[in-house]
Amino acid sequence: MATPRGPRPGAFPPNHNPNALANNLQNLQINLSNRQELSNASSGGQQPPPFATGQPCPPPSDAFQRGFAPPVAPGQSTLPPDAMPARPAGPTPVSQPLPFASRPPPPGVLPMGSAPPVAPGQSTLRPDAMPARPTGPTLESQPPSFASRPPPSGVLPSSIGGPAAPRPGPLGPPTPLQMFSNGPAGNGPPAFAPGMMQSGSRPPPPVSNLQRPPPPTMLSSQAPSQPLKTRPGFGGPPTFVSSSVGQPGPPFSTLPRGPMFPGSSNMPPPPGPLTPPPVQGTVQSSGHLHGMQSWPQQLPQVGLSSPTHGAMQLQQLMSGMPPGPPPFPNQSMAMGQTDPSQIDANHIPPYSSSSAVIQHETHMDNHANPPPPATSTYIVKDNGNCSPRYMRCTLNQVPCTVDILSKSKMQLALLVQPLALPHPSEEPIHVVDFGESGPVRCSRCKGYINPFMKFIDQGKRFICNLCGFTGEVPHEYQCNLGPDGRRRDADERPELCRGTVEFIAPEEYMVRDPMPAVFFFLVDVSMHAIQTGATAAACSAISQVIPNLPEGPRTMVAIATFDSTIHFYKLKCAQQQPSILIVPDVQDVYTPLTSDIVVQLDECREHLEILLDSIPGMFQDNRTTDSAFGAAAKAAFLAIKSTGGKLLVFQSILPSIGIGSLFARDAEGRSNTPAGEKEPHKLLQPVDKTLQTMADEFAEYQVCVDLFITTQTYVDVASLSVVPRTTGGQVYYYYPFSALSDLAKLSNDLRWNVTRPQGFEAVMRLRCSEGIQVQEYSGNYNNRNPADVDFPAIDCDKTIMVSLKYNDKLREESGCSFQCALLYTTIYGQRRIRVSTLFLPCTNNLTSLFVAPDLDTLFSCILKQAAKEMTSAPLSRVKDKATKVCINILHSYSMFCATKSSSALLMPEALKFLPLYTLALLKSHGLSSDGRIDERSFWLNYVSPLPTPSVIPLIYPRMIVIHDLDEKELEDSIIPAIIPLSSIHISDEGIYLLENGIDCLVYVGASVQQNVLTRLFGISSVEEISNQFMLQQYDNQLSKKLNDVLNEIRRQRCSYLRLKFCKKGDSSAEAMFLSNMVEDRMPSGAAYADFVALIRSEIRKKKA
Amino acid sequence: MTEFLDLEIQDSVRMPWNVLPGTKAHAANCAIPIAAIYTPLKTLPEATPLLPYSPLRCRGCRSVINPFSIVDFSSVNKIWICSFCLQRNHFPPLYQSISEQNFPAELFPQYTTIEYETPAPQPQDKAQPGSTNVFLFVVDTCVIEEELSFLKSAMLQVLGMVPENCLIGLITFGTYVHVHELGFGLIPKIHVFKGTKEVTKDQLLDQMGFFTKRPRPTTGVIAGVRDGLSQESVGRFLLPASDCEFVLNSILEELQKDPWPVPSDQRAARCTGAALSLAAHLLGACVPGSGARIMAFLGGPSTEGPGTIVSKSLSEPIRSHKDLDKDSAPHYHKAVKFYEALSKQLVHQGHVLDVFACALDQVGVAELKVAVEKTGGLVVLAESFGHSVFKDSLRCIFQAGDHDLGLASNGIFEINCSKDIKVQGIIGPCASLDKKGPLCSETVIGQGNTTAWKLCGLDKNTSLCIVFDVAKKESPDIVSQSANNQFYFQFLTYYQHSNGQMRLRATTLSRRWVAGPGIKDELISGFDQEAAAVVMARQVSFKMETEAEFDPIRWLDKSLIHICTQFGEYQKDNPSSFGLSPRLSIFPQFMFHLRRSQFVQVFNNSPDETAYFRMILNRENVSNSVVMIQPSLISYAFNSGPEAALLDVVSIAADKILLLDSYFTIVVFHGASIAQWRKAGYHELPEHQAFAQLLQAPRSDTDAIIRERFPVPRLVICDQHGSQARFLLVKLNPSATYNSDTQAAPGGDIIFTDDVSFEVFSDHLQRLAVQ
Repeated sequence: MATPRGPRPGAFPPNHNPNALANNLQNLQINLSNRQELSNASSGGQQPPPFATGQPCPPPSDAFQRGFAPPVAPGQSTLPPDAMPARPAGPTPVSQPLPFASRPPPPGVLPMGSAPPVAPGQSTLRPDAMPARPTGPTLESQPPSFASRPPPSGVLPSSIGGPAAPRPGPLGPPTPLQMFSNGPAGNGPPAFAPGMMQSGSRPPPPVSNLQRPPPPTMLSSQAPSQPLKTRPGFGGPPTFVSSSVGQPGPPFSTLPRGPMFPGSSNMPPPPGPLTPPPVQGTVQSSGHLHGMQSWPQQLPQVGLSSPTHGAMQLQQLMSGMPPGPPPFPNQSMAMGQTDPSQIDANHIPPYSSSSAVIQHETHMDNHANPPPPATSTYIVKDNGNCSPRYMRCTLNQVPCTVDILSKSKMQLALLVQPLALPHPSEEPIHVVDFGESGPVRCSRCKGYINPFMKFIDQGKRFICNLCGFTGEVPHEYQCNLGPDGRRRDADERPELCRGTVEFIAPEEYMVRDPMPAVFFFLVDVSMHAIQTGATAAACSAISQVIPNLPEGPRTMVAIATFDSTIHFYKLKCAQQQPSILIVPDVQDVYTPLTSDIVVQLDECREHLEILLDSIPGMFQDNRTTDSAFGAAAKAAFLAIKSTGGKLLVFQSILPSIGIGSLFARDAEGRSNTPAGEKEPHKLLQPVDKTLQTMADEFAEYQVCVDLFITTQTYVDVASLSVVPRTTGGQVYYYYPFSALSDLAKLSNDLRWNVTRPQGFEAVMRLRCSEGIQVQEYSGNYNNRNPADVDFPAIDCDKTIMVSLKYNDKLREESGCSFQCALLYTTIYGQRRIRVSTLFLPCTNNLTSLFVAPDLDTLFSCILKQAAKEMTSAPLSRVKDKATKVCINILHSYSMFCATKSSSALLMPEALKFLPLYTLALLKSHGLSSDGRIDERSFWLNYVSPLPTPSVIPLIYPRMIVIHDLDEKELEDSIIPAIIPLSSIHISDEGIYLLENGIDCLVYVGASVQQNVLTRLFGISSVEEISNQFMLQQYDNQLSKKLNDVLNEIRRQRCSYLRLKFCKKGDSSAEAMFLSNMVEDRMPSGAAYADFVALIRSEIRKKKA
Repeated sequence: MTEFLDLEIQDSVRMPWNVLPGTKAHAANCAIPIAAIYTPLKTLPEATPLLPYSPLRCRGCRSVINPFSIVDFSSVNKIWICSFCLQRNHFPPLYQSISEQNFPAELFPQYTTIEYETPAPQPQDKAQPGSTNVFLFVVDTCVIEEELSFLKSAMLQVLGMVPENCLIGLITFGTYVHVHELGFGLIPKIHVFKGTKEVTKDQLLDQMGFFTKRPRPTTGVIAGVRDGLSQESVGRFLLPASDCEFVLNSILEELQKDPWPVPSDQRAARCTGAALSLAAHLLGACVPGSGARIMAFLGGPSTEGPGTIVSKSLSEPIRSHKDLDKDSAPHYHKAVKFYEALSKQLVHQGHVLDVFACALDQVGVAELKVAVEKTGGLVVLAESFGHSVFKDSLRCIFQAGDHDLGLASNGIFEINCSKDIKVQGIIGPCASLDKKGPLCSETVIGQGNTTAWKLCGLDKNTSLCIVFDVAKKESPDIVSQSANNQFYFQFLTYYQHSNGQMRLRATTLSRRWVAGPGIKDELISGFDQEAAAVVMARQVSFKMETEAEFDPIRWLDKSLIHICTQFGEYQKDNPSSFGLSPRLSIFPQFMFHLRRSQFVQVFNNSPDETAYFRMILNRENVSNSVVMIQPSLISYAFNSGPEAALLDVVSIAADKILLLDSYFTIVVFHGASIAQWRKAGYHELPEHQAFAQLLQAPRSDTDAIIRERFPVPRLVICDQHGSQARFLLVKLNPSATYNSDTQAAPGGDIIFTDDVSFEVFSDHLQRLAVQ
């Protein structure tokens, strides 16, 4: 019998507080949605009334402005250019209704401000959040505009508008906060839930002052609003909280579930069972329904050698096959005997980001549905299996035995991104509250209740899909089974019908109260930082982000600066002005005060503003060249040790003094000498254990460090990055830092960092079916015990790679389950457990295995492993290994699965890009031997937690033509077709934009038409472009489109992307650009065609 | 008696023996050592000129020309003969005009004490901190809010009184030490140091950014602006009072109680040692060698870091005399060692440590004593920062006018004396400069083994007790052989006057010595019993502190009996025949009271109080010290004017007011009837003017005493039979106790004690003396 106390600390130490993420997401969404709504409304002439609570809604512009406007003087000119254009609305957004399409509001703002939103928006995750958010761009077709929504319109608008209205930014937090505060439960949805639970009969949740429409309304509204989810506040759809307590009634319970839930019977007639996922037909008129093909029975093959295949592929393409990377156009190539050089660039698959939105159902006909490519845009309908956003497996069918797997040479691993941003149109994640007893769990393996648990004995017992154990169903959770063997209430209980749900964690899951949201800013003010403007930029970025922090008493902030000493600031408001407290001892640091340094944001806004304004001036004459990074971080840590929190460090030079000081390991940071000279890879390792030890301590006390490196010199990223990596943080690297051009990116990065959905003091564990177990986790986390992964903080951009191993056989008929449980604290202080369950079929058939690989995931794992090895093995060995992996897989395929034997290179459809990606990897920045060591370290570090959808563009950047943007009519997408990365596609008359998620290069040919230059850049000749050139928006279609494109990219990447101009003739810039043309022959590697030929011959050799 | 006072007025010196035993043997018989209580900066008679030139010095012994020098006007070149080494010295050209009719002042017989002002070679401009006084406030913030506000208001009041050109610095401390950078204009800036750790001066220089703008000198000692530091960097921490008054005011106003939480079973973490050490380093770095005072305001015991006197746990009580006796105070020796090191540093730098200890419990004055005393610092012990003892004493320090303390700094004290006299040492607020020479005695007491001492801080009242030794061996014909039966002493004091000038005060004394049989009467004629009592008090205090297993009562009794035996008139074994010369007559009474005093009966006090009393004793002049030993009692009644009363319980009468001055405490004691009348409000009735005046008389006298005294004494006004009356009773001779035969006179009082009365004491003394 499952213990009634369901929650077993087993998995998670009871102490962790789950919580916030959800909230964040919601917030974000809300905002977004609001924003959108706003725009909708305004366009319709109908402004949604502000929230009932009277939240003032700042004009959307607000967010925007923060992004750009404020920036430092120089900044101004800088940033705006890019951003501005995007947001024409700039200052007066309101008046300017954003076109729907532009939805992600201001792309300009984006990265931080709006972009995130989008993303989050997409994430719609939470029921609450759901609100009406037209899915971004895609949703143009979306029918329901706010106004048009029938039922809800009355009530809804107000509520919706309300929350939404306020913050344009993703930062919606404020709004949500308010809501929450009223509600009994922190989160919108939860709040609702309780209401329901307590009085089944009470339709309207007693909760907050929000005007929640009575449930029925909601529902109905929901339906219409489909795409736009109802907002959480409404409790409507989102609140699918089922209360385990006594009242099992599905939240929605209005349903006449009569007997079982007596309470519910009183309820007003429910609008029917849960409304179907919002999506459905209406929404995606444009969507390809093919998205959900079932497993192809036949094994598609791409034969490079056989031209005929081309057709086939094409066909496949058409049929909506994995939209991801477009199929290979070039299969026509007979690689066979012909000279490799025959493969010409045109054959390389154009990397179009499928503009089409794919509808993806996770589970169909009792089968797991293979996920769409990670890089495509898709909308998931979670009907039992978790969305691929949260968990993806390298193989979509799991081999039953280790033999099959090893024969295939592929790897079995999962990429888990527990807090991934959903698409805005997706149904939010349901929040389930089991009350005191906590979620139902298997009493043996502690797996959480999920749709694949099988109930038997009239529902009195259940069989765990993970360990096979038969346990008792807690009495209050029992339910009769229907004729199909499912519980009758399965469809009403999210935990029984959704692959991902979120449980409210009861007390037992906490060792202490959920921690507050603490933000500690630590800024380098040494001479170098001051003189390069890094300090001013950091201060400006911080002061812009302050308003985006969640409001309320749970948000604490602190600021400190450091050079050779550490300067804390006493922010307590009773003081007339802040005072500086200097900690001079950087060998043995301490925090100078317990209180008054970390202060509630609400109490110190003014002081903080004054302080941030005056810091650059205060230190302007600073002649201290030393920087005590380690000591400062330690001191800041001590100040927030009791609560934990986020430590955001702005560092500008090599830390040279105090604890954890470093030294220039390679002269001038000029990297690793020619390969072969004494182990250059050692430079990629941390110099010693000091920082690691420190980081471990930070992690233990739930302190997460994010490091913003704004430098012009070598700073030993390899050593520094240990701290963020261990604590679940992130490294941002601005090199060479320019106060002029990097301010925008810095402030946007910072904003996204603090406003994106995230959780604190998290613990994660992955459980698998019997027969498989976790071998290793890797990512940015702290490993205190081998079974769990601890994150002081985790956000939507963090992915963990979980490699698996067999300890037994799997049975083909039973399938294989993976369950990822993440216990965390939301930014609003609620403890939650997010549980995602992935069920995959098993196979004994090697051939079907080759149908099933998920190339994006597989390649991500290859990349991450390569990055990991980089620090411990010579470069050449890493490269060899990566190449071998590719060769071995393809060899295995041609050995065991190829239908015909030929000398041609045969590849399974699903892996057709493997050679290309592998080649790109070999040529990538991180694996090149001539890069600066810091840049490579950063790259390695960047890759480690990188989500799958970002991996591919990093390796194989996206390049588009922009000089003719205005001439093309794009249907679905703002971003034009992608062109392959080969210099043959580059013409002297063209202007190209290339982005990899970090940087964005604009390449200007030598003989571009002057008129194009004028329209795009406002200049008359190419010569006027300098390194510091800034993009601005001009009043013409071309320029506008370019800005739209740029903003869309930023939105997609959730990153501001540093814009660099490369003009032909400027040798270094041109070289930088050309180094991305991975299909070309270049010093670091062969041309694509040559590489394919090489692989082919290697395979041939092996066969022989 | 008065002749001794006259001598004191002229030369600021009191000696127990003004006629000296001429040989070692005789001296040993005297029980009380040959000593001098010398007050170097005592105000001189008004007529004494200040000589605007440097003194003439003997080529041989460097002593200064004085009225005892023999001047030979006859020779062409005019020669003077040093009275100490008999060296013949030529006068410099400046003195060419002197003649028997035309003496320079320093040769006038009445100017045996005279002051020279050396034209200050002060090339530096005025802003130079070297020439000005520096006050570095070190403030304890681990006190309750109320105390803190008292302290703040006291300090704010005083800030306005600091002379404008004085430099001021501020350090606050609690769990951590906060060094305030007063010169940083934008916002308050504080350097925070850990309290548990001792920082070296070099670390401090590095960590506080003294070398960010100007590179650190690669060699040499960094010492102030002259050596290595920029004026700018010094000016960050020490500012002229006029420049930093505003900043300082605002800092003090916002000063918060130490914010670190204190568990209920613990004492606050207070790092007094670290704070004082940092203060010393800061002054050492910024203004070495110039007059600077660290003024420490302490509100509790140090519990953290170096110099800890008690652990944080409240379950451990603060050490008592008993603990010290049994050597069971775990922190004591470590703390003393630390403060000894601190005192060495301060002495080296020429800086003073003043301590204002204001707390109900002890704060560690006993441990701090060494640092305060060796630097010549001031000490005030009070129960609260709100108490007038503290507030008024603090004000005293900064007040100008007749009652100012005459604070001087950077003093160096040197002694020359006849070769048959050796110096054992000094008991008093000074530190040895380790200048050894033939004048040093082999037996050492106090700061000895040197003929030069450092007085980092000194004032008008600072009195040193110099103990000598007669080196001359007994020989039968010693008297006849000696042509000169005078011993000469010369005390030279160089110091920086509060106006910044450097001065030298020279006091030259001559005392006759006697030897051989029959010297008793001669010695008696030169005996100053007050001075003797004070010397004994200082000696016994010193021995109690330094000698293990020392039994002070026994030692005092032995000495007293010895003296009585030596100098009394009696028939052997006939106690009733015993008599003492008037010169000695009250000496036994002094000893009686000394035995009962706080200096000897330490167990009634905490170690802090004892240390405090002794520090004051060791720096006060003879008349004040005598009051500490045997308080003065004045009686006020209707029929007579104020008159001195016997320090005895019999002096209590219902219709009298008594004024007891025990130096640290002044008690105004209203007899029972007086108290009744007062309560009835008679003094407010016009017809009872006389009563009002009677009540007022002791108060006026009290005010006069308080004005002149530093630290300000505690004033207790009480009524007979009231609880506060104990302050009086404890000091009185218990001639009437609960178990004595005599009944108290009507309106009188008895004392509940088992202590012996003076009569009993005296009986025993006589019996023992005649044996």
